[in-house]
Amino acid sequence: MSYPDIILEARVVTKRYPGSVALDRVSYRVHRNQVNVLIGENGAGKSTLMRILAGVEKADEGQLLLNGEPLMLRTPRDAAANGISIVHQELAVLPNLDISENIFAGRELTRAAFVNRTGEDIQSNAALVRLRKPMQVNTLASQLSLGCRQLIELARALSQGSQVLILDEPTSALSTTEAESLFTVIADLKNAGVTIIYISHRLHELLYLGDHFTVLRSGKIVGDAPRAEVSRQWIVECMSGRSDTSDLTAQTRRTSGKPVLNVRGLTIAASVGEEGAQAPVHDLSLEIREGEVLGIYGLLGAGRTEVVEALAGFRPILSGEIALRGRKLKIDGVASAVQAGIVLVPEDRQRDGLIPELSIRENVALAGSKGSFLSRSKETQAVRQLADDLNIAARDLELPVTALSGGNQQKVLLARCLMRTPSVLLLDEPTRGVDVGAKAEIYRILRALAQKGLSILFTSSEIEETRTLADRVLVLCQGRISAEFLHEELTDEALFTAASPHVLPLETTPSVSGHIA
Amino acid sequence: MSSVVQSLTRSDRLASSSARTILLLLRARAVLVLVLLLILFSVLAPEFLTANNLSILAKHVAISALLAIGMTFVILTGGIDLSVGSIAGLGGMVAGYTITQGIAFGGATHYPPVAIAILITFLVCLCVGMLNGWLVAKAGVAPFIATLGTLYIARGAALLISNGKTFPNLAGHAERGNMGFPAIGQSFFLGLPAPVWMMVALFAFAWVVATKTPFGRHVYAVGGNERAARLAGIRVPRVKLITYLFSSLCAALVGLIIASQLEAAHPATGESFELNAIAAVVLGGTSLMGGRGSVTGSLIGAFVIGVLADGLVMLGVSEFWQVVIKGVVIVLAVAIDQLQSRLQAKFLPYLMRTNPEAGR
Repeated sequence: MSYPDIILEARVVTKRYPGSVALDRVSYRVHRNQVNVLIGENGAGKSTLMRILAGVEKADEGQLLLNGEPLMLRTPRDAAANGISIVHQELAVLPNLDISENIFAGRELTRAAFVNRTGEDIQSNAALVRLRKPMQVNTLASQLSLGCRQLIELARALSQGSQVLILDEPTSALSTTEAESLFTVIADLKNAGVTIIYISHRLHELLYLGDHFTVLRSGKIVGDAPRAEVSRQWIVECMSGRSDTSDLTAQTRRTSGKPVLNVRGLTIAASVGEEGAQAPVHDLSLEIREGEVLGIYGLLGAGRTEVVEALAGFRPILSGEIALRGRKLKIDGVASAVQAGIVLVPEDRQRDGLIPELSIRENVALAGSKGSFLSRSKETQAVRQLADDLNIAARDLELPVTALSGGNQQKVLLARCLMRTPSVLLLDEPTRGVDVGAKAEIYRILRALAQKGLSILFTSSEIEETRTLADRVLVLCQGRISAEFLHEELTDEALFTAASPHVLPLETTPSVSGHIA
Repeated sequence: MSSVVQSLTRSDRLASSSARTILLLLRARAVLVLVLLLILFSVLAPEFLTANNLSILAKHVAISALLAIGMTFVILTGGIDLSVGSIAGLGGMVAGYTITQGIAFGGATHYPPVAIAILITFLVCLCVGMLNGWLVAKAGVAPFIATLGTLYIARGAALLISNGKTFPNLAGHAERGNMGFPAIGQSFFLGLPAPVWMMVALFAFAWVVATKTPFGRHVYAVGGNERAARLAGIRVPRVKLITYLFSSLCAALVGLIIASQLEAAHPATGESFELNAIAAVVLGGTSLMGGRGSVTGSLIGAFVIGVLADGLVMLGVSEFWQVVIKGVVIVLAVAIDQLQSRLQAKFLPYLMRTNPEAGR
């Protein structure tokens, strides 16, 4: 049995990570010479699937087929040799090399034993011209804007002669004009016979570009349809789904307590880093009341993390006023924020939260002890209490924290924050990488804390989470608040629409850029 | 962003050009320091600029330059090789043993020719380099720890070979057919000592590898962003392994040169040489974080350290003060390295605005 219009296929692929199943018997077909759109919320398994198709990771079960033939991919090299390349979400550009060197990194052209720099430059130029973006090929990658770095990766894929090109959230860090020229490039590539797999959160883009749509949710494919059968509503319904948190949704919502945290005109600089910049946050104002759960919903790169990190003193604030219970506050470091009673549960547990070498008790008690000497018995008692309150499933608090599942690790971090008796609890993506059962439990814990009067501010890129947890939602889009909803006003579509930047002038042809003299 | 380019104001342009100048000066700091030192010492010590002294100076520099060139590749990948001094010591002892004690097999002691002794030395030292590379690239041990371990292992092995004694008289015996070892370190060619020529040859080789070959580019890529390098299909472990092998090879050469110059192999030879080499690399503008730097810089760095040491001796500065001054220079070098990275990040917007890619 063959499918002439299916170029690449993943059959019953399963991928497990410690503590979670990223892909659960997924069968995915890539249609030849089309823009295959893959949609799903964070953690749905999109990136994992793509990494398997690109040879970066290996599936635990299942097989891949290229043109109907079984395909074994062990490394990105194998994938490239078979004409599959990926432009990664986190840009894999070498900042210390120039454009031409980046395009040919790992597969240099050689003459005798030496790099054929002239040949590389000619081909790099050709690829850049094809992408309608001529640049000086000896410019260092670290000096390029994000859009240009992305183009380098595209150029790399092109110069490899890829038949299948995977774009993982290519526009998340791009400006409007950059995104537009990317769409032109994608149209060009499609005309040239290239098959594209396109991952994005931005509905406008998807509906404009996509030929075939597939929706992933919690590691399973929940929707698959050609463009003609796809509507905005279909996508949103497939993506968000419904789960059993009805008890929470039914809870009374509070937005009428006394104001606790008041933020006026918060402005945060764009972070310029090797990893990729985020939109700067402009003139953001918000207010959290006592016992209120305020959600900040936004897509990748909207500036969610920046806001909570700035409030937690982890990121410098350019300007703006912050007041806690009417008293003006100067936050110039994590210590001053903690002192004031503002604590953050970070987004990336492993990187910013846990200390893997330490036990559960030590992780919870970290920086929570007062006085000069540690009192082991008091500490154990306090941690035990919190662990019971939060239902941390651990036989022994002296076990290394890495022995816990994702959900319980998250609760450890939550416990650490609560140990400081905060007045405002900040959470960045409170259930990132946590399985469904633990998610509901964390929601219940947070709701219960709010009932007791704690003010909670969380950020999320998941519609369902935002809907379940928040009393009130601010939507952040490219560093600005684009909408505000009370819990009862909230609809999935309104949320999504407010969060999507209006990138496309659909009627006009995207302008060709790159002709600056 | 095109409007930004067009509305580039005069003050911006001024800031941009002065930013470039400062960065350029910082990048060229090793050359500047070298020139300053040369001027200073020629003025203060008239005998400094004599041919005889310069020849001695070059010989000293060659030792640390050889180590620094090998070390450069390791540091460019983001690693470090603390074992080079010990490897040099071990290399000298292996050569000393094969020349003076011979190799016993088949019931008799054979004295291999010098070329074979040298080959054996290289092979033994490469084994240490292989161990370094394996530990770092395959076993995932932090380079500092891995090479700290092999520092002790190689030094211990060097002491074990002779039970801590020195092998004297490496000139060999005519009847054993193993004469000629002293020529490595003592012969002259076109008026310059052989070690200096070795330095020149090794530098040329390393420069070509670093700048003209795929391997050189992979070294920079690994140091710049290891993840991205792996995603680009670069065989990261292999690249790292080769850098440690090359570093050990350079160290072996240094061990041979020193043993040859002294006509004796002492097991403590090369102690703290690794620090000299690292200092030279850092002075030459190579970042200890990897990805940034050059072989040329390391050569210049080695010259700075050599000239400094030599000049201070000529000026009659107390031996103890020399140590202090060397330390100050190294600390300054690292501090300036940090300053350079920070300034670079700070000036990046200015540099980007006038970039030919024009930020669009």
